[in-house]
Amino acid sequence: MRAKRADFGPLSVRDLCAAAVDAATGAGAEYADARVVMKRNQFVATKSGRVERLSDSESEGIGVRVLLNGAWGFACDRRLSADGARDAALRACTFARASPAKHSRQLAHVAPASGTHRTPVERDPFDVPLAEKVAQCLEADEAMAGPDILVRQAMVRAQREHKLLLTSEGTEVEQELIECGGGIECAAAHNGVFQMRSYPSAQIGSSCQTGWEYVDGLDLIGEAPRVAEQAAALVRADECPSGVMTVVLDADQVAAQVHESVGHPTELDRVYGTEASYAGTSFLKPDDLGSLRYGSELMNITADPTTPGGLGSFAFDDEGVPAERMPVVEAGLLTGFLTSRETAARIGAGNGGSMRAEGWNRMPLVRMTNLHLEPGEGTLEDLLADVDEGVYMETNRSWSIDDKRLNFQFGTQIAWEIKDGKLGRMLRDATYTGITPQFWGSLNGVAGRACWRLYGSTICGKGQPGQAAHVSHGAAPARFRNVRVGVRS
Amino acid sequence: MNALDVAKAALDTAGGEAEAVAHIEHSGLARFAGSEVHQPTLIENTMVTLRVVHDNRAGVATTNKIDTAGLAELTRRAADAAESSPPDETFPGLAPPADPPDVEGFDDETAALGPGDQARLAAAAIDAGGDVPVYGFFTSAVSELAVVSSTGVSVHQRMTDATALVVAADENGSGYAEQTAWRASGIDPTAVGREAAQKAQRTRGATEIDLGSYRAVLEPYAFADLLDTFSHDSFGALGLLDKRSYFTDRLGQKVFDEKISIADDALDPRGLPKAFDFEGTPKRRVQLVEAGVARSVVWDRATAAQAGGGAESTGHAPPAELRDWGPLPSALCVSPGDAESVEELAELVGDGLYITRLHYLGVVHPREGIITGMTRDGTFRIRDGKIAEPLVNLRFTVAVPDLFRDVLGLTNKVALVSSQNFYGERYPYGVMAPAVASESFTVTGVGSRPGI
Repeated sequence: MRAKRADFGPLSVRDLCAAAVDAATGAGAEYADARVVMKRNQFVATKSGRVERLSDSESEGIGVRVLLNGAWGFACDRRLSADGARDAALRACTFARASPAKHSRQLAHVAPASGTHRTPVERDPFDVPLAEKVAQCLEADEAMAGPDILVRQAMVRAQREHKLLLTSEGTEVEQELIECGGGIECAAAHNGVFQMRSYPSAQIGSSCQTGWEYVDGLDLIGEAPRVAEQAAALVRADECPSGVMTVVLDADQVAAQVHESVGHPTELDRVYGTEASYAGTSFLKPDDLGSLRYGSELMNITADPTTPGGLGSFAFDDEGVPAERMPVVEAGLLTGFLTSRETAARIGAGNGGSMRAEGWNRMPLVRMTNLHLEPGEGTLEDLLADVDEGVYMETNRSWSIDDKRLNFQFGTQIAWEIKDGKLGRMLRDATYTGITPQFWGSLNGVAGRACWRLYGSTICGKGQPGQAAHVSHGAAPARFRNVRVGVRS
Repeated sequence: MNALDVAKAALDTAGGEAEAVAHIEHSGLARFAGSEVHQPTLIENTMVTLRVVHDNRAGVATTNKIDTAGLAELTRRAADAAESSPPDETFPGLAPPADPPDVEGFDDETAALGPGDQARLAAAAIDAGGDVPVYGFFTSAVSELAVVSSTGVSVHQRMTDATALVVAADENGSGYAEQTAWRASGIDPTAVGREAAQKAQRTRGATEIDLGSYRAVLEPYAFADLLDTFSHDSFGALGLLDKRSYFTDRLGQKVFDEKISIADDALDPRGLPKAFDFEGTPKRRVQLVEAGVARSVVWDRATAAQAGGGAESTGHAPPAELRDWGPLPSALCVSPGDAESVEELAELVGDGLYITRLHYLGVVHPREGIITGMTRDGTFRIRDGKIAEPLVNLRFTVAVPDLFRDVLGLTNKVALVSSQNFYGERYPYGVMAPAVASESFTVTGVGSRPGI
């Protein structure tokens, strides 16, 4: 579907980008790209029967990136005017010129691209009246009321990002990406024990690049009573025991595990150290490609910016590289990195395709797009059936991983003991810890396609200045042997 | 237009009961990796947030289109949001006018720094790394904040800030240093680069240790990070009202060692001073912990109204778009102790750990204040009262109240540690902390050796 260029308003955005690129190349840049981005967000949150937040924000501007004498420069301006475009371009050149490169920078060859893309939607989230969104939240909020429930929260969100990228190499692509999502959460307390329960995921629920039909399909109102009942039960549940045991994770927690221990370490900019001062580096080395055993043979990880509904889906990344599905781990072997044109050239493989910027005022970085653990076979019950003694954990609650993405510790909101292949008593405060390759090496079961779910997160942080990326992960419940469970302070 | 003009224009366009907050950012950040600048970013932006109130229904809209048409559209969207919301009988109304305190926090020289200066100061940090490759940035900025409202609030502040941050790392070691101030002349990128590189040199040949509880010295970087994370649940009024704060049912009780006193003080000129919050309410110094006793939390108007009982805003309202986060401290300040140096703290520890910096903290249990994370860029053993051999990065899982319950000592100087990672609009804030020596720091895992 074609994006409606008129949405940008009366100014010719294409001409502004062209003016910026011309100004940059005229000032000596050997490469330049200009991105105009207009973004709108709506967020509705209710809390214990009251509207807690109802906001509608928009932001627009132009960001210009240049390569001058082998050095990068980036500058941006909120003004979508000839002056704003030119000023941003010249300031980017000034910054690049002031920061001389010690090494030459090459960009992988990409054929100039042109095209448009728009997220297919049945019901545009911005056509849904705010009043309807508020009512949806309040009804779900009310449906969580019950004994021991201290706090009830419901939230829905929507985003439209309309952007045009034009480069000095002739690329000109325009995209309109639409996403929405929602979630519910409640907190319970009893005798000093405090617990939380969320659906469909913690941290602002889950989002999808599609229309409001996704939020309706979440059935927040229908799920609310179960969420509240589980929260209330958790405050009376036993603490998760400690020990080394078999763990079965639900799809949500597997998605978090994929994000932290596969997604970030396979970002090639981290491998080369360019995130060392903030998000960290990676235990992987460029030479590990094709030889490093990441996990068991059941581990198949795919980066796929073409996934329908994925928050990391696009037709072109923010360098204009066409979207392409790509294996990252095949049968446990590392076979791909997430790359930019620059890092791809450095490693001599691929041509990038994972560069994304949070908005017009941030430089594109290597980011996850949609990173999936490919499904295996069978059901959750099949995974459990093969466990004599262990723990089944659901819904991420806490996460932490070291700067090389090796040593991690996760906690989940809820767990159940597994006894003789069946779920037993409910457990609270479940945590597990491990070392990335050993942990994935202990993977010995992944449920099948019917259990595979797509989770969309909007809080993936990276970069200085910081950028929050929206990424999706598809995952199914998975079983891991010999996991250290129940870390105590 | 300055921020006050933008906010007034938005308020005039809205008419009726409303509040407008304008936030201007003019910043440059020269980020470097492998000892060369690789991501230099210049940002120019003006955001204006309008909160419209109709019969106790509040709606918020934000834009950076500040021309007449943009502000008219902003008003329409804010009004639509307000009309879409049911009345909130607990809404405390917009803030009344009040004179903000005089604060420092703006420096002409810092404001004048341009991309050439930012690149030059980044180069100074890079050069100081010497043979050890460095990763980090130099940044400086001017930020402006203005709040005006139909109740008569009209406040405006210009702020400057600058930070030099360096991770010095090669394959065999890594070190960290940072300096932040509202006067760029108050920070020394060369010293930052040198400190990080020297620390990196000392981390070569790191070894593992057994899991368990150790005495430990935490440098200000580590202490500030841990305290900032703990504060999100425990030092704000919303955490208290939601009963996820460690202070729940503990106000007035002794919760930490009597050596620990913590305030939130945005007026302190040694920090990154602020005169008012995002509702225009003057900032107040809030004593959170006094000689180990839990005294208070920070409030905004909404949480004060919810709590009743005479609670008042302490000037800690977050931006309207983030109001569901509740009020949070943004100028934490830990009172110093008597120790002359970290070496003196190591003597107090005798046998234990020395920790420079933490990484990727996660809250395991908010009500119990349990936090996990990793040490990074300079972890050492303390033996016989001396900082000794380097250690690999360690996973820790600590109940922060346990860490502060038995404090062996604090240094007599505090350092300002930046807490912002420059997400969203620039709003500089940080923690002023000394180094601390604690009786208990629980190591729950071992990680990789320091280094790139």
